[in-house]
Amino acid sequence: MGRVIVVTSGKGGVGKTTSTANLGTALALLDNSVVAVDADVGLRNLDIVMGLESRVVYTSMDVIEKQCELKKALVKDRRVDGLMVLPASQKNNKDDIQPEQMKAICDKLRTMNDFVLVDSPAGIERGFRNASAGADEAIVVTTPDVSAIRDADRIIGLLQNAEIEPINLIINRFSPQLVGNGSMMDQADVLDILNIDLIGVVPEDSGVITSTNRGIPLVYEEGSPSAQAYMRIARRLTGQRIPIPNLENKGLFSNLVNWFTKKR
Amino acid sequence: MSNSTVVLRAYRDGLHLIIRPHLSITEVEAAIQQEISRMNRSLTGASVQIDLKSPTLKKEEIESLSFKLQETYDLTVRNVEIADEPVAPPIAAAPTTHVISPTTDIRNHQNSEPSRIVPHTIRSGQTEECPQGSLIIYGDVNSGGEVRAGGDIVVLGTLRGKALAGMNGRVSAVIIAMDFEPLHLQIGDYVKNSPVSQEPRGCLKIARIGAEDAITVEKFVKS
Ligand SMILES: Nc1ncnc2c1ncn2[C@@H]1O[C@H](COP(=O)(O)OP(=O)(O)OP(=O)(O)O)[C@@H](O)[C@H]1O
Ligand SMILES: [Mg+2]
Repeated sequence: MGRVIVVTSGKGGVGKTTSTANLGTALALLDNSVVAVDADVGLRNLDIVMGLESRVVYTSMDVIEKQCELKKALVKDRRVDGLMVLPASQKNNKDDIQPEQMKAICDKLRTMNDFVLVDSPAGIERGFRNASAGADEAIVVTTPDVSAIRDADRIIGLLQNAEIEPINLIINRFSPQLVGNGSMMDQADVLDILNIDLIGVVPEDSGVITSTNRGIPLVYEEGSPSAQAYMRIARRLTGQRIPIPNLENKGLFSNLVNWFTKKR
Repeated sequence: MSNSTVVLRAYRDGLHLIIRPHLSITEVEAAIQQEISRMNRSLTGASVQIDLKSPTLKKEEIESLSFKLQETYDLTVRNVEIADEPVAPPIAAAPTTHVISPTTDIRNHQNSEPSRIVPHTIRSGQTEECPQGSLIIYGDVNSGGEVRAGGDIVVLGTLRGKALAGMNGRVSAVIIAMDFEPLHLQIGDYVKNSPVSQEPRGCLKIARIGAEDAITVEKFVKS
């Protein structure tokens, strides 16, 4: 039975879709079968980030309305085996889907796959409730700024109320330079507030935008630090214990120190 | 806080000994002794200004007090300031002219009230309340979160959100937290926005209505 993981944030634009696409690809590259579900009904873009826009024929809406079989709506990735996307309808809106319908889809998908990653829309309303309805676990994405962190905190409270567990944190768009000169919160500050397990830190990287525009997930760029960060997060998701490198202090020694942080 | 009838404070112009109204000279002397023994640094050779909140002490009493401060604690009195308006006795006081008298210390004003324990962090968007008693949080109160209590609030973590103690107007209520980074503190009708505490992180701090009739945040001292 596969795991259903919702990727969510509260605040918009912090990197949920980027994270879903890259983790989905990375997990598939590690020989897992993965379905990435776009739950951002009306504003779908997971298919674009993954370069699959032209292959979309059916959407989750068609499945719910019984216009097609779930299997037929899944779009196969063109680069790696075992990765599929369930696109969201672009012409509907979030209220057209009920949480139970999303849960039913996730439950069906988990019987056939190792991982079901659900790309949640921003916000705490229906779209979020739909996306988290079928999830056992969550990944909360935040950028290291106070407004994103406060929204992440809000979302974590809602996920805990829904008894979704574990809840892991990705800090995205992290900039060692900005932390160094005191204009960005450091990892410890973020963890002190959110008080959940950190599963990875993805650096600020202009390569993310170019990869989005080309429709090729970043993880294929082996030399890129953010690609490596996503690969490590995928490994941690599969249970491997890999230290989180300390981006704040690029010494050889300190890189070895910051082991997979357990904080509770 | 052992006793709030007499408070020793450091201001820009030096130490001030603030004496609340309606005290006899014996009460004042006892309170001074407690307040000075509470200080963990030596005051030897320092000078103080005595701020009398009302002229209830006689001139001779003030003189003998100054003499005793010099003799007993090696404290020189550089000035005595007396508030000229007499203050109404505490019994008749409206909520705004409360007095924290020796009998209302934080231990005994809530004897039989229930307190409520919240065994986790209060996150953004969450509110916890205990209108009839005190609230104890085993965690933080994050920005966007809110706690309210009729009595005291104790946060065994960082207070970043909003805290309202003494919500039914009880001005003797206090807010205690490991660290204060709150957006908004309220005790009774007294409000303070974004107070910054000078105390180091990680040592308990207490917010209460101090001698200047405003919310102060200081290091927590056992009574
Ligand atoms: N590590 C990064 N470095 C630089 N840019 C990034 C990074 N992560 C994401 N971005 C950029 O931020 C923007 C938003 O990313 P993305 O669409 O993944 O966020 P989202 O949380 O899914 O947004 P929404 O809430 O609208 O769904 C994109 O332009 C993306 O390229
Ligand atoms: Mg998105």
